[in-house]
Amino acid sequence: MARESFDKEVQFLRMLALAGGAYSRQQFADRLGISVHTYDKTLRYIKDMRTMLSSDAADDLAEGLRYNHYESADPLLLFLFRSKSLKDSESVRLAVLIGLLQGEALTAKELLDACSDSMPSDYACPDEKTVRGDLKYLEEVGVIRRMEGGRPYKYRADIDLIDRLADEELLDLYDYVDVMANTQVPAVQGYLLRDTLKKALTRRGYGSETFDVHLYKYHYHTRILDEAHLYTVFEAIRARRKLTFLYLSPKKGKNYASKNTNPLFERETEGRFETTLPLRVVYDHQYGRWYLIGHSPRLGTMKYRMEGVTQIELGDAVDAETFDRRLEVIEQELEHSWVTDTHRRVKIRARFYNPGRAGANFVRERVLSQGQWGVVTDESDTTFLYEIEVNGIYEIKPWLRSFGSSCEVLEPAWLRRELIAEWKEIQAYYEPVREDL
Amino acid sequence: MNPFEKIFNYRILSRLDEADSIALTAHERSWLKTMLEHPASADAFAAETLSRLRDLLQDETAIESREYIAEKAKSRERQVYHPLLRPLRRMIQQGRGIRLTSRLKHGGVQSNQNGLPVKLEYNMVKREWYLLWYNARGLMSSKLQHIVTAEPILLPPERVEALRSRALAILEERRTYAVIEIVREYNAELSRILYAFSCFDKTVSYEENRDLYRIRVSCLADESEFLLSKIRFLGRRVRIVEGEQLRRRMRESAAWALARYEGASDSQPAAQPPEDADSAS
Repeated sequence: MARESFDKEVQFLRMLALAGGAYSRQQFADRLGISVHTYDKTLRYIKDMRTMLSSDAADDLAEGLRYNHYESADPLLLFLFRSKSLKDSESVRLAVLIGLLQGEALTAKELLDACSDSMPSDYACPDEKTVRGDLKYLEEVGVIRRMEGGRPYKYRADIDLIDRLADEELLDLYDYVDVMANTQVPAVQGYLLRDTLKKALTRRGYGSETFDVHLYKYHYHTRILDEAHLYTVFEAIRARRKLTFLYLSPKKGKNYASKNTNPLFERETEGRFETTLPLRVVYDHQYGRWYLIGHSPRLGTMKYRMEGVTQIELGDAVDAETFDRRLEVIEQELEHSWVTDTHRRVKIRARFYNPGRAGANFVRERVLSQGQWGVVTDESDTTFLYEIEVNGIYEIKPWLRSFGSSCEVLEPAWLRRELIAEWKEIQAYYEPVREDL
Repeated sequence: MNPFEKIFNYRILSRLDEADSIALTAHERSWLKTMLEHPASADAFAAETLSRLRDLLQDETAIESREYIAEKAKSRERQVYHPLLRPLRRMIQQGRGIRLTSRLKHGGVQSNQNGLPVKLEYNMVKREWYLLWYNARGLMSSKLQHIVTAEPILLPPERVEALRSRALAILEERRTYAVIEIVREYNAELSRILYAFSCFDKTVSYEENRDLYRIRVSCLADESEFLLSKIRFLGRRVRIVEGEQLRRRMRESAAWALARYEGASDSQPAAQPPEDADSAS
């Protein structure tokens, strides 16, 4: 059976989160390249999942996923990672087994006996082979642990991390996980752990007032959707294997292309198939977006926005020497990239103006905090200079522009001219009287 | 580790919930082990808890793949954790009041200010923690690094409830909004633009016959300078169509920036112009 892909769900949720509310069903479906019927089906599936997971999921998903920052810091998009398909009977069985092993170590035989009492009446009791298979799986994912000692082996749920902590320690752990999942990458496993710890605290009597104490302002929630591909990409980098995928350039306007072999989707495939040797992944803090950086024999260094990568598959491996050589080149190229730009290096000099009023010099603070490897030198009481050598100007220009009149680009002259032209255009956007053409 | 594991499936999860059982995977433990290597862990736990956690996780493998990630355009990580987070979160959760002594911006110290702590807020751009708290002067936001001491005080529960709802009402009153239009020639960059605004509470609308996108951003009034810096960041791609105050600020930004470039002092307003880099970002 083909590996289950979550491309559709990822793209669907991304569009809901980014452009939620903008499109009618038909428009939404068109943009994803799916039928309205598939749109409805996917939406229903996601809604079911949300309803099962949280009691307050009544809001209208079709309107988009909105974050009210002051209400909750629960990551709404996490349920993507809860969508792996599973037979109902298997979910019942696994949950029963995990339940039986909570406080007690049992053998497969003992579990089999206990199962017959614990399985809901409308589900058949598993046979020994099935139970052994389940135990193997649960041990692999680390949910249970085989106890020391000989055969017959005993198993127990591996929840020492929780059980061995006192209440207050568990609360500290919850907070730490919450902070790190929200501020660091990668984050998905952290959010999953946060859910687990929340449950453990609830079990110990902590109420809802415990959980939403921290808020994260200006947080890019959709970043966890792009983490969906990270595992495959990392696996490929580790094994020095190429990746093939269908790349839908985010500029083309269509965000998902169904596989023609799938009868649910009847549209033509768009986008282009790419093969690349993955070397690094870049996380851009300015937009909360991920990039895949790779090498292609024909085109050299390649950069892909993770959101455009679909139908990802592992391909052939390359030898260690080739991989290391490519990696070295890429690392050198990226060293002076503001984000991923590998164009020719340019030296930029800009003058920044300190704020007029007394108090904190937030212009300087911000330049020091965000200016990456650029160098700041004093110029006068009212100004300071910032110099940086950076690959191309395309990525740094928005940052310089974001300072408005607090930043004046001095060099290169052509960049200075470009900014003047842009400010003139922007000024025209806000002319008090607009001519009616 | 593949986050798409069947053990994370929502059906299993809801069944485990019903039975009050817990499933903790190696994925989660590995992630935690990696994150405990961050120096922030020293501020987050009592020393003995931290060493117990490390013991409990000693057989796990850390996530090696972190070295494959290059983070770019990140603000300097001033602070991930702050020692005051632990005591303050307990005061909030237990419905305590607070007595604060804090350093003032221009030097000096203000002591014994009483109020109700409401939330702890991390600014992802400044990479710094703030305490949102309510007192007689209204709803305050104080940097944790400016707080010298914070002591809990007992308040009757009904008083806490009243103060808390007043604080939340103030947040609501402070809300303002702007409507930002994507300049149509840049529709091809829709994705980038929507990502840029995805850190705000927003809704998007689309007018098919004019192929026109509009983003309605809702934020607190004191966040509007940060919103403006985002709008300037995007340059010609977007234009504010509703929100007179913001439109005026953009007009000023453009005029003052041009005055800088042209060095024409006569076109520069008499008042000190450049407050564009704003304190909020």
